Amino acid sequence: MSLAWSFYLSTVLVYLGVDVMACWGLNLQYGYTGILNFSFIIYQSAGAYTAAVLTLGPATAGSFQQYIGGANLPFPLPVIAGGIAGGLLSAVAGVIALRRLRSDYQAMVFLVISLIATAVVTSDVGLFNGPAGLSIIPQPLSTALNLSLVGYRWFYVGLTAVICLIVYAFLRLITSAPLGRSFRAVRDHEQGAAALGKNVTGLRMTSFVIGGVIAGISGAVLVEFISAWSPGGWLYQETFVLFTALIVGGTANNAGAALGALLVPVAFLEGSRFLPQFGPPGLIDALQWVAVGLLTLIFVWFWPRGVLPERRRIIKLPGLQQAGTGRPRPVDYEKTAETR
Amino acid sequence: MTSVQRQLTTPAAQAALLRVDDLAKSYGGVHAVAGVSFDVPRGRITGLIGPNGAGKSTALGMIAGAIKPSQGSVLLNGTNVAGWPSHKIARRGLARTFQQSSDFAGMTVTENLLTARYGQRGDTLRGALLGRRYWRAEQESLTARAADVIARFDMARMANELAGSLSGGQRRLLEIMRALMTEPEILLLDEPMAGVNPALGERIEDYLLQLKQDGLTMLMVEHEMAVVERLCDPVIVMAQGEILAEGTMEQIRSDQRVLDAYLN
Repeated sequence: MSLAWSFYLSTVLVYLGVDVMACWGLNLQYGYTGILNFSFIIYQSAGAYTAAVLTLGPATAGSFQQYIGGANLPFPLPVIAGGIAGGLLSAVAGVIALRRLRSDYQAMVFLVISLIATAVVTSDVGLFNGPAGLSIIPQPLSTALNLSLVGYRWFYVGLTAVICLIVYAFLRLITSAPLGRSFRAVRDHEQGAAALGKNVTGLRMTSFVIGGVIAGISGAVLVEFISAWSPGGWLYQETFVLFTALIVGGTANNAGAALGALLVPVAFLEGSRFLPQFGPPGLIDALQWVAVGLLTLIFVWFWPRGVLPERRRIIKLPGLQQAGTGRPRPVDYEKTAETR
Repeated sequence: MTSVQRQLTTPAAQAALLRVDDLAKSYGGVHAVAGVSFDVPRGRITGLIGPNGAGKSTALGMIAGAIKPSQGSVLLNGTNVAGWPSHKIARRGLARTFQQSSDFAGMTVTENLLTARYGQRGDTLRGALLGRRYWRAEQESLTARAADVIARFDMARMANELAGSLSGGQRRLLEIMRALMTEPEILLLDEPMAGVNPALGERIEDYLLQLKQDGLTMLMVEHEMAVVERLCDPVIVMAQGEILAEGTMEQIRSDQRVLDAYLN
């Protein structure tokens, strides 16, 4: 493998790991709990900025970049702090959106929160260096390891994979427990769940904050690798790429979410880089958004459950002759639309 | 002897399990429910009937906590639960079904039942993170109970089907089964026969009568008069947000105000 390919491939794999984590976080919120979090990207960004300033060291007067709360923490503390930041910001947004509003209004509030966050970070330069963003963020352990440039990148691929596994194990504990079932109950019928004694707001907040922590960790992992972060990288549209990934891959199924991350942000968007350039500059970028939108529409219309749909969980009942272990009967979504 | 039957033998059981006093709900200037008071006696099926727009479902919603009352009290076992959120009222032993079925469509029948019980060990973040070993035993006993309920309602064939793939009537049945998993003291039923085919309707009636025999208290909103006649005693008639009459079906039928309300 040539050096350039090795360089490229390692980059793509780190991005894949980050997108997989992000899709898992969003899947917990949307796929399992039914929260239309249109501000997902800002929690990833909160994690990225937090990890960045905690790695960069204190800001110096007269430097080309200004930011708050600079420190020089060793790895993995910045990544952990990034997760905490994502969770804290989620808790604040959740208190605003999840307590009193119906889910369609929640979606609107989240979209507005995303736009506000971008506006604030862009215009308040003292916060995270405004539109220029933060750069030359030191890579974790790079001096201690003393690897070659490409060698370090492959080390980081491994590191990302380990963090992915930890996140997966954590999510699996939750989604396979009765708690995961309660999340799905809230998703399928909020009032029905409340009538069974479920604290719907509490369950939504729990799922939302855990998703925010995972978003924050994913942002922190990414920023420590690419060494830069600016508002242009986390516009609200990025959230919709992740939603498309989930819809394509399959919701409420962590394998589906991971597949979606591979298919949409990585294969689909990365693949289009290799298309021959045509038209005026910027046309291909704009067409990418069009393509992501079309992909969502096509799947919602023709394949609403995605490539790997939510699996039916078969539970053996003691002392009963049961059928229903063959192909599942299709859900009549027309009939259930009013209750979903 | 079940816990419900035990309660029936005590002197306190003579009192109503649920007592609604001066309960009202207005939207702007419209009085959906204008100060109603009634008792739901233990161990019987109380019927709540009335023409469309009488305020029956609003009253039921207020009792269950889905709708916040404008005034009045709802005494459940002596505790005023008016204005409490639904989940807190549910934890006090009140279960309900909805006018439009509230099944968890993306979950199987068995899962619908397993999720019903409040306060499971693995239903908190801490419990979930402690792992399967922490909550498995409890799940096994819940699964055994779910198997009992499924067998009793003759739904074994559907146990692992998704709730969203059931027929309208089966979904009604599932709602009742799910409510029973919470071992409620009182069950509120909002038109349990709506959209149910006659054969299944008869089965649901039989099940409700069995539950009554077991000592379960029920409050049922229903349009089908024949069903009310067979199941309910006493019957409360509402019209335009107020109570018109109360008594046995026989007394109700001879009440001129009731006849007027229905004929209007």
